[in-house]
Amino acid sequence: MDGAEAVIHIDGLVKHYGKVEAVRGIDLRVARGEVFGFVGPNGSGKSTTIRCLLGLLRPTAGAIGAFGLDSTRDGVALRRRLTYVPGELRLPDRLSGMEFVASIGRLRGGFEPARRDQLAERLRLDLHRHLRDLSSGNRRKVALLLAFLFDAELLVLDEPTNGLDPLVQHEFLGMVREARSAGATVFLSSHSLSEVQRAADRVAVLRTGKVVAQGTVAELRGQARQRVEVWFEDDPPEVELRALPDMVDPVVDDHRFTATLSGSIQPLLGLLARHLVTSMLVEEPDLEEAFLDLYDGETV
Amino acid sequence: MNARILELVAGPLRAMRRATFWWSLGLAALVAGTMSVWPAFKGSSGISQAIDQLPSGVVQAFGLADFGTPAGFLRANLYDFFVPLLVVIAAVVLANGQTANEEASGRLELYLAQPIDRRAALLGRASAALVALVVISAVLLVAQLASDAAVGLSIDTGYVLSTIMLCALLGTLHGSLAVAIAGVRARPSLVLGVGIGVAVVGCVVASLFPLSSVLAPWRHISPWDWAFGGNPLDHATELWRYPALAAPSVILTALGVFVVARRDISGA
Repeated sequence: MDGAEAVIHIDGLVKHYGKVEAVRGIDLRVARGEVFGFVGPNGSGKSTTIRCLLGLLRPTAGAIGAFGLDSTRDGVALRRRLTYVPGELRLPDRLSGMEFVASIGRLRGGFEPARRDQLAERLRLDLHRHLRDLSSGNRRKVALLLAFLFDAELLVLDEPTNGLDPLVQHEFLGMVREARSAGATVFLSSHSLSEVQRAADRVAVLRTGKVVAQGTVAELRGQARQRVEVWFEDDPPEVELRALPDMVDPVVDDHRFTATLSGSIQPLLGLLARHLVTSMLVEEPDLEEAFLDLYDGETV
Repeated sequence: MNARILELVAGPLRAMRRATFWWSLGLAALVAGTMSVWPAFKGSSGISQAIDQLPSGVVQAFGLADFGTPAGFLRANLYDFFVPLLVVIAAVVLANGQTANEEASGRLELYLAQPIDRRAALLGRASAALVALVVISAVLLVAQLASDAAVGLSIDTGYVLSTIMLCALLGTLHGSLAVAIAGVRARPSLVLGVGIGVAVVGCVVASLFPLSSVLAPWRHISPWDWAFGGNPLDHATELWRYPALAAPSVILTALGVFVVARRDISGA
């Protein structure tokens, strides 16, 4: 992807907090109109990268920005085109939800009360209550409402569904799809892999401040281990099965063979074609497995 | 005025409305309560004689001179120490609450993720704290004038106005110091400690240094001396005293605004 197509550009981003290296050299491009998953465990550098993108943190080295604008130099112009849900969400206690949303609306301009009410209804959120009286889930709904209230070209969502019940999570995913259909780009940071799996077109996986893998969800799944289970009519060809490449922990138990496959399934299928197989199960890896694999080693 | 710029001040003001109300009420109650005893002291020669028996240093340090006069009564009971210190504490607490405390708690994160310049955001919050201080001072002035009328304390209204304006400017100076520190670093305890510490040291310098012939010339380093060194309840205040307090306030606020743009914003 060249620079002209990219909405978000990150080049050699490094961020240190004193001696702590939170981000250790990230290069990334996010294309216009895609939902980009930014995945990693706590402390992997996701939020630091996002806070650099918003201009809240100044990079130690490298460059980060969006729409061709630099986060540090052109922060106001850049933030005019994006909305944000923080991972660690703190809202002003002394205001009601209605007051807070109206205040942000006045700061941004283009605030439509009708759309606010529509989103509040959709998220099942009572904005008349004081923010200090809201549960963490309802506070997050306030932040989500703000993220979708304005026609932003880029939505930066850091752990957006933390504390939300499954119904609202489902609604949120619908809102993400609608935003993308309307032409918005969504940068979705999460350690909830199922959420990213359902929403993202492409994913980058972070580990200790570095991107250890990136690609489509399908590509990451392809890198993951698959669990295979085969039932033979007769005794399994144990010696041949154990000799197959990329076979981890093969177990023969009566007519049943189980193993974990860390590479292509083709050699196994070739072998099985020569034998009488009564049943076979290949568990499709979800991103969780791909993700855990990436943490086993430095990169995949 | 542009709605966005207005909101940079109005938003923090809304958040401070309760604190502003309680500070105003507290100071008004202090003034009304203190003034209610004035009739007992009015023209009392016994108290004046008792004070005359005290060492002159004690009388001077605690502002007890002319205790039986309107100006002396107000000075000793309210404006030599208590009211200015409370106004200063209110200014530092309000400024800290809208700057360092908000940032350290993470509540500025979503706010600063909006298309606003963080320098404008800090300036807006400093301005909101200033507006709150003006409201508190206005309520204080009304409470003082109403109490004067109610208990029959006769004093030039202009002198009372000047004194309370100087209190407000002293508060502004310390509030601006709080903004400057918050601009450098979002540490609420540091902002409160330095802001109130400087106020207390300034008060001690202005009160006690004049008692020593060696230290007396150094009393002028204290902002309290710039504010009240001319006995504003007894005489018309020299005009230079207002800019002497206002100018450093502008410089300190500008320093905070300049620095905040060049550092990281603290997260939750």
